[in-house]
Amino acid sequence: MIRLENVTKVYDGGVVALKDVSIDVSKGEFVFLVGPSGSGKSTLIRLMMREERPTNGEIWIAGKHASKMPNWKVPHLRRSIGTVFQDFKLLPTKTVFENVSYALEVTGRPRNLVRNQVPQVLKLVGLSAKSDRYPRQLSGGEQQRVSVARAFVNRPLILLADEPTGNLDPATSVGIMRILDRINRTGTTVVMATHDHAIVDAMRRRVVQVERGRIVRDQSRGAYEQRTDAVEPAPIIRTEAGESRAARELAEAEAELAELPIDEEFESPDDLDAGESFEEGLG
Amino acid sequence: MSRLQYVFGEALRNMGRNALVVLGAVLAVFVSLFLVFGTLMFGEIASENAAQWSDDVRVEAFLSDELRNVDQLQGEIAEWSDVDEVTYVSKPEAVENAREIFADNQAILDLIDEDPSFIPASLRIRPSDLQDYDGIASRLEATPGVLEVISAGDAVNQLISLRDGLQVFSWALAIALGAAAIALIANTIHMAVYARREEIEIMKLVGASNWYVRVPFLLEGMLEGLIGALVAVAVGLGAYRLGFDQIQGLVPLIDLTVSTDFLLQRAIVIVLFGVVVGAVGSAISLAVHRYIRT
Ligand SMILES: Nc1ncnc2c1ncn2[C@@H]1O[C@H](COP(=O)(O)OP(=O)(O)OP(=O)(O)O)[C@@H](O)[C@H]1O
Ligand SMILES: [Mg+2]
Repeated sequence: MIRLENVTKVYDGGVVALKDVSIDVSKGEFVFLVGPSGSGKSTLIRLMMREERPTNGEIWIAGKHASKMPNWKVPHLRRSIGTVFQDFKLLPTKTVFENVSYALEVTGRPRNLVRNQVPQVLKLVGLSAKSDRYPRQLSGGEQQRVSVARAFVNRPLILLADEPTGNLDPATSVGIMRILDRINRTGTTVVMATHDHAIVDAMRRRVVQVERGRIVRDQSRGAYEQRTDAVEPAPIIRTEAGESRAARELAEAEAELAELPIDEEFESPDDLDAGESFEEGLG
Repeated sequence: MSRLQYVFGEALRNMGRNALVVLGAVLAVFVSLFLVFGTLMFGEIASENAAQWSDDVRVEAFLSDELRNVDQLQGEIAEWSDVDEVTYVSKPEAVENAREIFADNQAILDLIDEDPSFIPASLRIRPSDLQDYDGIASRLEATPGVLEVISAGDAVNQLISLRDGLQVFSWALAIALGAAAIALIANTIHMAVYARREEIEIMKLVGASNWYVRVPFLLEGMLEGLIGALVAVAVGLGAYRLGFDQIQGLVPLIDLTVSTDFLLQRAIVIVLFGVVVGAVGSAISLAVHRYIRT
């Protein structure tokens, strides 16, 4: 689904953000990008969404040769990628519903699709009751859920999240992770850059650790820190006494999710391909 | 339909958001195109009048009675490269003409009846180009057998240089003011893009096509150009209609009438020019703006 081959990224001004990086992410995987500040996580995300081009190396995204792709084809690629950022990027003048439907409207999706899809996605993120509110009337966690809903409403193949919980307290973060996990279970590939130890340790997914522009660890079911002693997965969920609230909520969420009949709620991400008409209409 | 609604809706919303700046750009388009329209009209008036007058005007060389070989002289003059046509007016014809011209003036008619021989024969010469009067007249004056040369070319000459001057002036004006209007429209689009940079960023994130992002801005520029041009044309035509009688009264020798065809044609040209100015202005702005350029 995502493949980087020997990718080097040098920014204007000579900053080498990535050096000879190769990653292969399969369909349906959930990958955490971890590493210290400035190590190149956001650069990786930006390359994957084709906001930047690599200085060297090749990138394939959703079957397309993204590093060779001309700029005018990027909008089409973006429709198969959902993005979530630390700062939510919501439009303050639009309601929750409008912020989400915006993603469908600007790609020219038919109206009835908007009418069906948006309430469905708002339900998924638990904001059905607040669909007429404006972003300033929502908490940070709720705003981020709107942003996740917008990223997912297109049913993208890939969801890229750059520190989506960076501005949120642990409990709220867990709520967001629950949603990302649900989205991942529909078959959507998720790549998330984070500094959040608790989340990475609790979820035990693939961890790619970046340091000074190089991948220093790529571990399935990994923890935030590479430890030799951590034989047991998700230790903080297991310990009764020292368990954080976030971890407890996450454990409950996982249990809940395990029972969710996912296929009834979601269409597969690839069966939606309407909406080319607007672009063509404008020629 | 909803696409059109979207595109126009966005363009109008943007314009409302920056109403003052938009007003400035529209005024710039209006002033420049109004001036261009005005000079086009004056140019047309000048050239219409020049054409009318030049039909009546000839260089006329009065011939001495002693001149024998008139045919030869007529032939020679007709060979001159700047001469279009030479007509011989014999003495009896000249007398006839004089009678017609002075039909109201009994004193002169009496004089003619008394002794018509004082009226000379003449060669009437039509220059191939109205501007060649001077050269023809001075050569004729140096020709033996020619008594006197008269030409009414000076007035025509002035009108012609006025027309040519106005033509150059209106082009220069159109270019200079068009450039100013383009710059001002580019500025409004720049501000509109800046005001909506977050929205543009999000549109690009979710995969809106480049055209979807750009068309409202292009349209906004074109609308500004169009509105400025429509106002310019309306004010120009209005001023012409309202001011016509008064100004015509001031300059009775010049016919201020301009054909409706001409006015309509130029009005359409001006309006198209306004739209083009708007499109170019916004296109320039979109091409350089970093929020739009991916
Ligand atoms: N647009 C840019 N131009 C120049 N240098 C950049 C640019 N973006 C990032 N960098 C540099 O590239 C390096 C990697 O940055 P990046 O944002 O990818 O790190 P990060 O791992 O996301 O850090 P953080 O955890 O703080 O978000 C840094 O040294 C940064 O200063
Ligand atoms: Mg970062």
